[in-house]
Amino acid sequence: MMRTKLPNILLITGLGILLAGAVWFGYQVHISAKAQQEIKQDYSLSNSVTFGLFSVDQWRDRLSEVIDHQINGYSITPEQKKDMQAAVEKELRTLVAKTVAEIDKPQKTLGGKLKKMAFHTLVDSNALQAQVKPFAETIIQKVSSPASQARLKDIAASKIGQLENQTYDHTSEANAKVTNYIYQKYHVSDPIAFNKTVHTRLGVIWRNTIKNACSMLGCVLLALAFWWLMRKTVQLQTTLFVIALLFAGVLLVVGLTSPVIEVDARIQSLKFMLLGEQVIFQNQVLFFQSKSIWDIITTLLSQQKPDAITVGILILLFIVVLPLLRLLAKGIQLFVSNNKVVDYLAFEASKWDMADVMIVGMLMTYIGLNGILKSQLANLNIHNDTLTTNTVNYTSLQPGYFIFVGYVFFELVLSYILKRITPGYVSRRKKK
Amino acid sequence: MLLCVEGFFALRLYTLSTQQEQIKQDYTDINNITLGLMSVDNWKDKVADIVSHQVKHFKLTPKQKEELQVEVEQVINALINKAEALVNKPQKSLGGKIKQLAIKTFVNTDKIRAQVPEFARSIIAKVDNPKQKAQLSTLAMTKFNEAQHTGSLDSTHKANQSLTDKMYRRYHVSSSDELDHKLSTSLENIRTETYDYCFGMLGCILAVLACWWFLRKRVELHAVLFIMSLSFAFILLAVGLTASMIEVDARIKSLDFVLLGEHIHFQNQVLFYESKSILGVVEVLFKQPAADSLAVGFLILCFSILFPVTKLISTGIHLLSKRKLAENRIIKFFAFQSGKWSMADVIVIAILMTYIGLNGLLDYQLASLNIKSDELTVLTTNNTALQPGYIIFISFVLYGLILSTILKAITPYDAH
Repeated sequence: MMRTKLPNILLITGLGILLAGAVWFGYQVHISAKAQQEIKQDYSLSNSVTFGLFSVDQWRDRLSEVIDHQINGYSITPEQKKDMQAAVEKELRTLVAKTVAEIDKPQKTLGGKLKKMAFHTLVDSNALQAQVKPFAETIIQKVSSPASQARLKDIAASKIGQLENQTYDHTSEANAKVTNYIYQKYHVSDPIAFNKTVHTRLGVIWRNTIKNACSMLGCVLLALAFWWLMRKTVQLQTTLFVIALLFAGVLLVVGLTSPVIEVDARIQSLKFMLLGEQVIFQNQVLFFQSKSIWDIITTLLSQQKPDAITVGILILLFIVVLPLLRLLAKGIQLFVSNNKVVDYLAFEASKWDMADVMIVGMLMTYIGLNGILKSQLANLNIHNDTLTTNTVNYTSLQPGYFIFVGYVFFELVLSYILKRITPGYVSRRKKK
Repeated sequence: MLLCVEGFFALRLYTLSTQQEQIKQDYTDINNITLGLMSVDNWKDKVADIVSHQVKHFKLTPKQKEELQVEVEQVINALINKAEALVNKPQKSLGGKIKQLAIKTFVNTDKIRAQVPEFARSIIAKVDNPKQKAQLSTLAMTKFNEAQHTGSLDSTHKANQSLTDKMYRRYHVSSSDELDHKLSTSLENIRTETYDYCFGMLGCILAVLACWWFLRKRVELHAVLFIMSLSFAFILLAVGLTASMIEVDARIKSLDFVLLGEHIHFQNQVLFYESKSILGVVEVLFKQPAADSLAVGFLILCFSILFPVTKLISTGIHLLSKRKLAENRIIKFFAFQSGKWSMADVIVIAILMTYIGLNGLLDYQLASLNIKSDELTVLTTNNTALQPGYIIFISFVLYGLILSTILKAITPYDAH
């Protein structure tokens, strides 16, 4: 009795430590994966295309900058001066000709006749026409003087300002609220600092997640190795098996609640030339989603549509409830023999347990989604003289997926071992 | 008898689902972005309003007027200076001298100078007066109308026109509101009808399973019953594969802004609409250039067609043929284990649905910040929905799993 108890206790403490390690690392993976999800969500909110490329306010600001620049940098070139002069001259000539014709009209009144005579004596209309050129020159010179140009620019700029005030949409208010919220949350004051904070935080979180996930899987592997070493000591098998089931439970829970696939489609940059100046929109998030299996189920269940709810229930049943029940049944089966329900769950229900199907399904979804997004975004990639757009697709599998894969393989191994260490059930089946 | 009913329902379901797809496609065409946001017609009126508004209400602020006044005054002053200089030039001829004298006597340049601000004001007033502006706006409008009738604009206009005309004729309506109304009512009808047939099919399946329950003691009938059940499964599979399964609908919910004082509002601009059956999804994946998408397409094809068909056939073989063949490993795998892999398709579509269709993240985030997203330009895919084909396919998979359980119970051979 003593001889079995002592190694039992030793074994339990040893594996207990490993189990605690796995739980701790699993918890860490879960925490950091959630943190990553939240940061990315905030990032995608503040960089959403709604507040950038789709916002009239943004376009207005960018365009008005270009126009202001154009107005301020404008100066009349000699060529334009010449053209203007020609135009003014022409205008003046017709004016003079008109005036002369007016006076030359046959006059009926005495006063009119006198005026006409005086005009003809005093004014030589040819000489008047000759004067047109110097007058036009004066006008142009006056208008193109620096002071005058500055004044005209002022007028134009203020007129543009008026037009700008008549162009707006509803983003500014929403945008202000969003930025306010984000800046407060991350203790930053400008977009550059925000981007930097997000970047460094994500880097740290990513490294942590990888480290923790690896440690967790390491604990599980260590436990398995332990078991392999102990495979000859029959009296310890039950204890080992129960602890292994706990490991599987931890893997399952972490795998279910950590994000599995992340979809992130962006327009990295959109540049075009307007009036010789570049207009740039950067980092426009078109679409962002990051979900765990649990999120997928809750999203489906929270729909109004009955078909979505049905699917949600089915997935919940086959991927969460059934695997947990089966783990439980396997544990119970060791102590309670010959219970029909327990036996069925432990040995026969694998046909209904779709965790392995889920792995393949998620992988297929990931690849398919990735492929479709890539080709759709590639259609948006334009490179020509006037317009350049760059799109990126950061769709990736997340740690949750790999942990879930770990669970499925572990579960396979467990099923195999269970069949080996419980010959009773198999022989019962055979006898039937 | 039941089988006939089932077949009839299946056929109806299939035609209805195709019909629905067709109507939805038309509906999308009508509400498409090219006919709304991108349509010249829609913009024409709005731009016309803007032009006339801008020209008619072109107003100079007092400050601008002041600056303009200074400008005009300076030009006039410069002109007067020039004229004076000309007059004051020493004249050689007698006539010239007399002229100079006369001008100096009659014309007082200082007086004229004093009047300059008055002149300038009247010039500006002339530019700024309402009548002038009305004239200008008509002029601008004529120019604008001329510009409208250039070739490229006309051709898009014609294309749109012919499209809408065709739609109107097809549905015997005369206005877009009427068309909208008609399409939505007929869609609603078709939807309820499809679901009725869908439930009819499921009812038949349940009836079959009930038969099994009642006849569970009559061992001699089992083989016949099982073969009949297999044909039900085939019908389910055929409908599940060909009826549309998921529809994806991406739109710009609203586009609402003020452009140069003119309120511009577009709603529900459909960017993208697709309705796909499983085979359609496979087709889409096969059309992608990347090899990995091809692989996924192939896998879905396997899980949705090859596996189920082989499964149904091998269950039949297992039950009817001799022991040796029945206990063949491959036959046994397909008969008992392959069923759940068809669920992979169900899962793929479900995940796609939650990622693409239920894309409420931005709305949710905005709502949590107390921002109404109605007036913002947001991309939504809220109208993405699962279709009856999906339900039928799921029922097929479950039905198949139940059948293989039944088979296990009734088989004379070893099922393991």
